[in-house]
This record gives sequence, C-alpha cells and structure tokens, in this order.
Amino acid sequence: MAERRIELHVSRYRPDRAPTPYVESYEVPYDDDTVVLDALNAIKDETDGSLSFRWSCRMGVCGSCGMMVNGEPRLSCAAFLRDLAPGPVTVAPLRYFPVVRDLVVDMEDFLEKLREVRPWLIREDEARDEPGAHRQTPAQADAYRQFSMCINCMLCYSACPVYGQDPEFIGPAAIALAHRYDMDSRDQGRDERRAVLGRDVGVWACTFVGECSEVCPKNVDPAAAIQRSKLDLAMRGWRAVWPLGRRP
Amino acid sequence: MREELRRPGYLPPMPRTWWLRTGPYRRFAAREFTSLFVLAFTIVLLLFLLALSRGRDAYESFLGWLDSAGAMALFAAILAAGLYHTITWLRLSGHVQVVRLGHRTAPRDAVTAAMVAVWLVVSGAVAYVHIWA
Repeated sequence: MAERRIELHVSRYRPDRAPTPYVESYEVPYDDDTVVLDALNAIKDETDGSLSFRWSCRMGVCGSCGMMVNGEPRLSCAAFLRDLAPGPVTVAPLRYFPVVRDLVVDMEDFLEKLREVRPWLIREDEARDEPGAHRQTPAQADAYRQFSMCINCMLCYSACPVYGQDPEFIGPAAIALAHRYDMDSRDQGRDERRAVLGRDVGVWACTFVGECSEVCPKNVDPAAAIQRSKLDLAMRGWRAVWPLGRRP
Repeated sequence: MREELRRPGYLPPMPRTWWLRTGPYRRFAAREFTSLFVLAFTIVLLLFLLALSRGRDAYESFLGWLDSAGAMALFAAILAAGLYHTITWLRLSGHVQVVRLGHRTAPRDAVTAAMVAVWLVVSGAVAYVHIWA
C-alpha cells in the first residue's frame, strides 16, 4: 500500500527573525494512528528542529498540547490526521493567548486566574477539625465530579470570544474549577470565591456563547459552571434583600 | 519578579467581525440578534396599549394597521425570530438547570425536552384562550 502523505501549514513565530507570525508548509507521512502531535514531532525530528511546541503525555491527560487545528481548539494528541485528510491541515497556537514562539503561548495569565479563584479546599474550622480525612459520600462526590475533570488545557479560553475581547475575564476553566470546589461538601470557601466570581470580569461577563463546553476534551461543561454560579450569586443577592427569605 | 519573567509575546488583534469567524459564533450572534425582534414585539404591544388609552379612534386605527401587509410581514419576522431565540435558549437550559432524580441527575437533553414540553403546553393554552375560548 502506497504511503499516505498530508500537508501541514504550521504557524511559525520567531521574534528574532520576523515581527509577526508566518506560515511554513511541511509534508508528512501518516497512517490511521497518526495524530497532529506525531506529525509535529516528525517535523521536529526530521525536517526542522527549530519548531517549538508544548507536549507531554500524548494521551489526552496532561493538557499541554492544545493548539488550533483547522481553526478549532483541540488537543493535538487527539486530532487524527486520518480525520483531517486530504488536508492541508492548519496548525496554529491557541487563540487569544500571546504567542511566545511558534506554537507556544504564554500561560501566565491563565495560571494567575486559577490562583485567583482559590481552587483548593478551604476550611474555616480547620483547627477544630478532628484529625483524619474529611468524609464524603459518593453522592456528595458526584455533585462536583464532572467539574474536577479539567486538565487545564485552555482550549475553552481559545473558544471563548469574551476572553478574546476582554483578557480580564476570569474565563471558563478557572470558573469551572471554582464551581468544583463550591460544590464540594468538604469546602467552606464559597464566600471567598463569590467575591472573585461576582466581579464584572467574573461570571457576569459571560454571554453564554457555549463554545467552551463544546471544545472541552473532558466534557467538563464550563458553560454550565458559569451559569450555575450566576444563579448562585443572583439567589444570594435576592436573599439579601428579600424580607421573608432565609438570609445566607 | 513575575512581571520581569513575563514575555510579551505576539497577540493578534481580535477583528470586529469575529462573530462571523465560525459556525457556532454565527449561531450565537443570530441568537443574540433575534432578541431585537422580541424587543420589537414588546414595543408593538406598548403602542397597542398607548392606542387603547387614547380612545376608540386611536384603537380602531391601530387595529387597521395590524391588518396591513407591513404589519403581517413584521409579525411573521417576529414569530420566526422569536421561535429561533426561544429554541436556542431552551437548548442551553440543560446546561443551567440541574434536575436530581434520587441519586442521579437527569440528562441535559431530558431537561431541554421537558422545558420544550412546558413551553408548548403553555403556548397551546394561551392560543386556546385567545382563539377558541
């Protein structure tokens, strides 16, 4: 059987050579098991060692190899060339993030936002707790399990035009992670996170385009987390002014 | 220190026509745009109440306008846009509304289907009252 080949149009950015990104074309062999990441590694090993991109696990777990493949945010380790044939396949860095070099983007803004929502168990009574694990039933774990599957691949940010227009927006993954801990029966930090999520650049900036959930490789559904956080904040505001209601 | 370590990088400008870029973005823009037709219907309703408050002649004149071809075209557009707006929003409702069935959560499609069913029943009831009752 003749070797199958496909053309890749790869975005290159080398600030020492050109002030703006440009496209370079490469032709690579592929079979049914070849993914875009394999093709990029083949280019780097055999054709152009200067090509830069992030990757690690090659199995959709680490979230490192997110890129724009044919204009869509995807994990390059899960984008099979057989599905993209006959090509050409365009490969570009994740949209809406500053490009550092070739396919590598600056993640610092995302990491700062993650820290901002305090994505860890917060206990007000930690000192008074008895030693040992905080117990939780399977049903209580189910309440947040979906939102705990995030691998921080940032595809949802590249799908979000709100983040593209306003980089101050906290964004889908960070809000989903905040919601994950808000829904955790062991956590007592909801009020601290509400202060972050309730800002103009928090959940209220979201216009519910919904693409964050569509591109998520782990079915986290960040759009759901954002809308449910809006509901939580609205109900809290309502209870604060409703004279007959239960005050939070 | 962190600021020193940060690299500025290249950030392509976001074009004004970003909402034409992909199919999902275009559908989102259409969903938002159709809300203007809901606004148009609200304005027509307010004009109707205004005519009613101004007496019989104004009311009859407004009813006459409602029979015109222009008004018919407007209401046809409002109906089409309103249906699109409603259906697209109800499809999103499954993301927002969590329905617990014992220890299990109802699937998103089932929540949307329930919302659509409620919408159809209420619309049917309103139509019945206005047309036949």
